[in-house]
Amino acid sequence: MAAYIESNNNNDVAEEKKQFIAVKLSSEIYGIDIGYVDTIVRMQKITRVPKAQSYFKGVINLRGEIVPVMSIRLKMGFEDDVFTNASRIIILKIEDQGKLGVIVDEVKEVVNLGEDEIDKPSHDTKENKHSFINGIGKNGNDLISLFDINAMTEEN
Amino acid sequence: MDVSQYLEIFIDETSEHIQSLSDNIMALESDPENKDVVNEIFRAAHSLKGMAGTMGFKRMQHMTHDMENVFQEVRNDAIKVDSDMIDLLFQCLDAIEGYLAIIKETSDEGTNDNEPIIQKLNGFLQSAEAAPAANDVAAAAEPQAKAAEAAGEKKFLSLELNGKDKKKLQDEFVAGKQLYGMTVYICKDCLLKAARAFLVFKAVEEFAEILVYEPSSQDIEDEKFENDFSIYFASEEPLDKVIAAARSVSEIEDVTADVITERFLEDNVAEVTAVETKPVEEAPTVTAEAAPSKPSSGSSSAAAPKKQAGKPVTSRTVRVDIEKLDALMNQVSELIIAKNSLVSLSSSSGAGMQNQSYQEQIEYLERITTGLHESVMKVRMVPIESVVNKFPRMIRDLARNLNKKMELYMTGEETELDRTVVDQIGDPLQHLLRNSADHGLESAEIRKERGKPEVGTITLNAFQEGNNVIIEVGDDGNGIDTEAVKRKAIDRGIVTAEQAENLSQKEIIDFLFMPSFSMAKEITDISGRGVGLDVVKSNIEALGGDVEVKSVYGEGSTFTVRLPLTLAIIQALMVIIGDEKYAISLGSIVSIEDIPITDIKYVEAKEVINMRGTVIPIIRLNQLLDIAPPEEEQESLTIVIISKGEKQVGLVVDDLMGQQEIVIKSLGSFIDNSTKIISGATILGDGEVALILDVNTLM
Repeated sequence: MAAYIESNNNNDVAEEKKQFIAVKLSSEIYGIDIGYVDTIVRMQKITRVPKAQSYFKGVINLRGEIVPVMSIRLKMGFEDDVFTNASRIIILKIEDQGKLGVIVDEVKEVVNLGEDEIDKPSHDTKENKHSFINGIGKNGNDLISLFDINAMTEEN
Repeated sequence: MDVSQYLEIFIDETSEHIQSLSDNIMALESDPENKDVVNEIFRAAHSLKGMAGTMGFKRMQHMTHDMENVFQEVRNDAIKVDSDMIDLLFQCLDAIEGYLAIIKETSDEGTNDNEPIIQKLNGFLQSAEAAPAANDVAAAAEPQAKAAEAAGEKKFLSLELNGKDKKKLQDEFVAGKQLYGMTVYICKDCLLKAARAFLVFKAVEEFAEILVYEPSSQDIEDEKFENDFSIYFASEEPLDKVIAAARSVSEIEDVTADVITERFLEDNVAEVTAVETKPVEEAPTVTAEAAPSKPSSGSSSAAAPKKQAGKPVTSRTVRVDIEKLDALMNQVSELIIAKNSLVSLSSSSGAGMQNQSYQEQIEYLERITTGLHESVMKVRMVPIESVVNKFPRMIRDLARNLNKKMELYMTGEETELDRTVVDQIGDPLQHLLRNSADHGLESAEIRKERGKPEVGTITLNAFQEGNNVIIEVGDDGNGIDTEAVKRKAIDRGIVTAEQAENLSQKEIIDFLFMPSFSMAKEITDISGRGVGLDVVKSNIEALGGDVEVKSVYGEGSTFTVRLPLTLAIIQALMVIIGDEKYAISLGSIVSIEDIPITDIKYVEAKEVINMRGTVIPIIRLNQLLDIAPPEEEQESLTIVIISKGEKQVGLVVDDLMGQQEIVIKSLGSFIDNSTKIISGATILGDGEVALILDVNTLM
């Protein structure tokens, strides 16, 4: 019983703090809510899909499943991705729409952020690329821009 | 009894019976004297009644019971079939279908009593009953006279009873019970005589106590009897009721029964005292009537055993949930992918792997997986019959509503399609047929003026063509007035008058497939609501098919629906364009040609080739798919000739990889695929993804 209460308490703590995967894109650190993340895979051959939106790199074979892969960089209007050994595809699971891969330059770590450590994005940056950001997390001295996954997966 | 587990079987079988009724009522309309058909209808109504009763659907049982009664009278020539009756019967069918629809939704039959229909049914009955009822009274009053006549049938009167049985009967008689004898005749073509007999006993036992079986109950159980058997029983219920119970068992040709007197027991000789037992409906032609039932034995034997096993004996089938088949299909798909990767491994790996037996095993595996795939696909295939066989009835109703004369001719009902496709094509086809009946065919007067036969013809032809199934819906009516369509398009502001002048016939007809583009001058029940051909088109496209129209103004139009045979796995040709791989469904490919670059000609600034007298436009896939062209122009081009209907197009590819069985996977909803060039993706043996080209969109 004691153990049960204890684990319960742990859960409470975990619920207060949200977990994010910190990823690097260009020189900035971004956070992706871990609740959306299905899995993270290494860079692999992406099959281009003709006539698709420009920010879709194509589709990959994820253990027998066809998963579309999007470039966040292109979607946000950055320069095109340069694939390195550190490049990863983060597979997101979006309700009712299935899986979607997004390309990041590097996966840093998992960070826990409490409510008090997340600020609303400032108004003057709330245009174009920053419309995909719905919060700024403070992880020690680092600032993490938190992705609004729903906004990111919507059509431009 | 908990019947919920039988609900699905009940729904399936009820649908089958409704269909059989519908078919037969149609047949009856054209041939009202046909006794086979009448018997068939009677049986179907009877089975429905029994099933509904078992399931506790009282209203449905009530209605089918009354239908059955009406047909009993028709069987006895007491009522003539006329168009009023046919109409009423169709109303009954609709009502039963209504019950079934509610049962499907809620497992309950709902509360609609359909009183007016039942009253009308009874109206028929009453008109018929008046005469024979009088006969019945007379017969009852003069039993002696009838007795001689019926003696041949009342076998129980002339049977030798052994001492023990006789004693048993006498004891009962002494106890003051009313004793009866009964002889039951089973149809000659009945397959399960013992089972029938058992059901008769069960029915009789509800009202009576059976004392003596002749032949013995053991012999009856072992089917050691001809087509009749007799029983003696004691009952407090009226004899008619017991007879009716015995008659309610299917495949019983006749039942005769009588009161047993003491004298009979003493003499064991025929002596009849009381009632003429044959129920009113059964005229003396009973035996004669049973003979023509032979051709329909298939369905009667299918209908009959339901009471015991719920399984027709004519075809041995198992009903399987489509989801289970889907799961099986997915596993087969995985197996094929695994097999493909083994194949590619064996062809790419080093010499160590290349020994002969390894190759043989790979080929063996390939054969097995292909066979397994075909078997699973076949299991999923059902004839389109289940969808199209409701159409004759629909056309009949339309003909009445529209006051036009028309006839529907169907061919290829046995053509098979994937179950999921069959379930979806009903509505589009129905719409096309309605369209033909309403807009296509002219009224009889106009047809006469135009020198056409008064009765319009609507055709529905289905057949297989390569990997596709084609369903053509045609009529010999008015055809499409392209000028009118053009005017309407201009009125609607879809095109300007100048643009309209340059449109081809086909482009104009395509307007009909645009949303809310209805050509109906007035809105009728049948069509003209503006939801029309566009819905047909989108429904069919959702199934991976397409629809096109051919029409000659004044002569009629034909809608051609093309549907893929299968949805999940296809044979495809793999081609290479640049450094990308694409799959093209083998079903659309006519041939592969090597054409010298010098043979390419230009027509209206478009590249064409002249192949054996046919001018075929060519499409450079690298341009279409935004792939960089090869650096140096080759001397010859590899061209894959594809066809859709009569149209052909040549696709220029860089190289061929060969034929492969591919599993179609969806690209998902994120990627914009509004051009529809890519119909899906597949995973190759090496794990790479290749896209599937939908070449139908290129023509």
